[in-house]
Amino acid sequence: MTLIETRSLTKDYGQVKALDRLDLGVEPGIIGLVGANGAGKSTLLKILLGLIPPTAGSASVLGLDVVGEADEIRKVVGYMPEHDCLPPDVGATEFVTHMARISGLPRTAARERTAEVLRHVGLYEERYRQIGGYSTGMKQRVKLAQALAHDPKLLLLDEPTNGLDPTGRDEMLDLIKRTGTEFGISVVVASHLLGEIEQVCTYLLAIDAGHLLQSAPISTFTQRTAVLAVEVEEGADRLAAALAGLGFKARQDEACVLLALDDESLYDAVRDTVAELGLPLVRIQQERRRLEEIFRDDAPAAGGVQ
Amino acid sequence: MSADNRVAANSPAGSIYDLGYRHYEGKRRGHWFAAWSLYVDSLRGIWGFGRPMSAKAAPFILAGLYALPAVVVLAFSSTISKSIATGETNPLDLPNYANYFGGIGTFIVLFLVAQAPEVVCRDQRYQVLPLYFTRAMGRFDYAMARLLSLVTALFLVLMVPMIALFIGDILMSADAFKAIGNELPKALPTIPSNLLIAASMASIALALSSYSPRRAYAAVGLLAYFLLVEFVPLVIYGIGHEAGAKWVDYLPLITPNTGLSRANDWFFGAPIPSDFSSSVGAGAYVLAGFVSTLLFTGILVWRYRRIAA
Repeated sequence: MTLIETRSLTKDYGQVKALDRLDLGVEPGIIGLVGANGAGKSTLLKILLGLIPPTAGSASVLGLDVVGEADEIRKVVGYMPEHDCLPPDVGATEFVTHMARISGLPRTAARERTAEVLRHVGLYEERYRQIGGYSTGMKQRVKLAQALAHDPKLLLLDEPTNGLDPTGRDEMLDLIKRTGTEFGISVVVASHLLGEIEQVCTYLLAIDAGHLLQSAPISTFTQRTAVLAVEVEEGADRLAAALAGLGFKARQDEACVLLALDDESLYDAVRDTVAELGLPLVRIQQERRRLEEIFRDDAPAAGGVQ
Repeated sequence: MSADNRVAANSPAGSIYDLGYRHYEGKRRGHWFAAWSLYVDSLRGIWGFGRPMSAKAAPFILAGLYALPAVVVLAFSSTISKSIATGETNPLDLPNYANYFGGIGTFIVLFLVAQAPEVVCRDQRYQVLPLYFTRAMGRFDYAMARLLSLVTALFLVLMVPMIALFIGDILMSADAFKAIGNELPKALPTIPSNLLIAASMASIALALSSYSPRRAYAAVGLLAYFLLVEFVPLVIYGIGHEAGAKWVDYLPLITPNTGLSRANDWFFGAPIPSDFSSSVGAGAYVLAGFVSTLLFTGILVWRYRRIAA
């Protein structure tokens, strides 16, 4: 069954068109929804949840229409908002149990599910403490837990890694991946960081200013976005020229040389060239390109080979 | 983040997930159940259950103060050998069913100022509303569950002294069973009259509170409303009445406390006090109470229909 389908979906906020005749068709999986701030990600999620009505066009989730069958959609969808949404003076267990009951689970079932999802997201003895005393990472876990409490078929996560440190971000992404792959729950992850999304997603939707920019399996994006950054203390220009001479796409960016990583032999070539030129090497790092660079044309290749 | 790291270290991911994720195959109830759950949670919240001890102080103290005169009467009931609660043989104007709310209804206002913002402001302040509206709960369900929980809480506050007065009268009589038979018909109007008071006052308080995410602003707004709409019409009525103006007779209808006290009189067949114009009967105050309840319930529902989530 098609997970999400939209037909010329439009949302007009008067002066701003958040979504402009958007056509989508997505199969179940872990779907990354990328776009800069204000691109229309949150608006799309809210329309799919029936929180706001579309101005024009139609959309369906799991074959259910977002306007006419919003009640049915809400039974099978879990939503984790971007903003804080937790009252500070209750414990995580009490809050998630309450939310499970609001989702229609009887009292005992709500308690069992709460214990299970809190364990799943990695909250243990602190789950009885008041949420106000939690770290940002723990709060994000509670937000995910409340979205999972009623065992939805689809999870909509809006910027789930907001405010997390690198460790917390990796743990959250790992959780999302497990949720999507091991439990058979489809996930839509909205984020402005492509680097995060490509770690966990199977499918990528890129939107910008309410328009669909890209809609494709993640593999086609990763090829374009994998970049090797080689930083040297001096002689970056010579290194870039030498590697370009070997037929690699190279671009100098201050003390770094950025290389399009489309061939494993690049690593050897970099090692040999740096050694030949006797350059003081600082680091070699595979970089994830930020989203803005996707929106430009194929950055490393067109960026001017020296 | 140290807490997170500690957790991750103590419990390796493998051992957690090996327990497996079980899908939920059980019953999923609809929006009535969701609304009922919210109602129960809300009622607990008003009394501070499931919250820190400090959250229990205000509701219990204010409810206690409202019940205090009746409890005092109950304590001294053995020394008085007359029925007090019905007000029939009550020369000292002691608290009875009919005059109780009119006497110390101020504590009901204070209870609402303290607890009504608690019911609706938190969800806006901490942005919990989207979590409700993306579940099996409609906006109307939400507004009504919250309102009914406050009506219920207020009704309990109002009825405790009524029950105390009733028990007092039974205790001071020689034959308890006969006394219950005599007293019960006279006590029964306390139920509809206090229901009207609870519904009317709670709907005003909740509708006004729902416009502020901040508890303190809502409380100040409520206090201002209950004071101004109480005393300004009464002052104008007093001046106009002296001057012989007829239209001012209708002004007391919109006052919350005084208006509902007059409505209370209707339920017990008590006469309208002499300082109120008899051209507006007690029945009109009952009607005003109903209209006010419907109006403010409408405002509350409208607010949640429009609120961004």
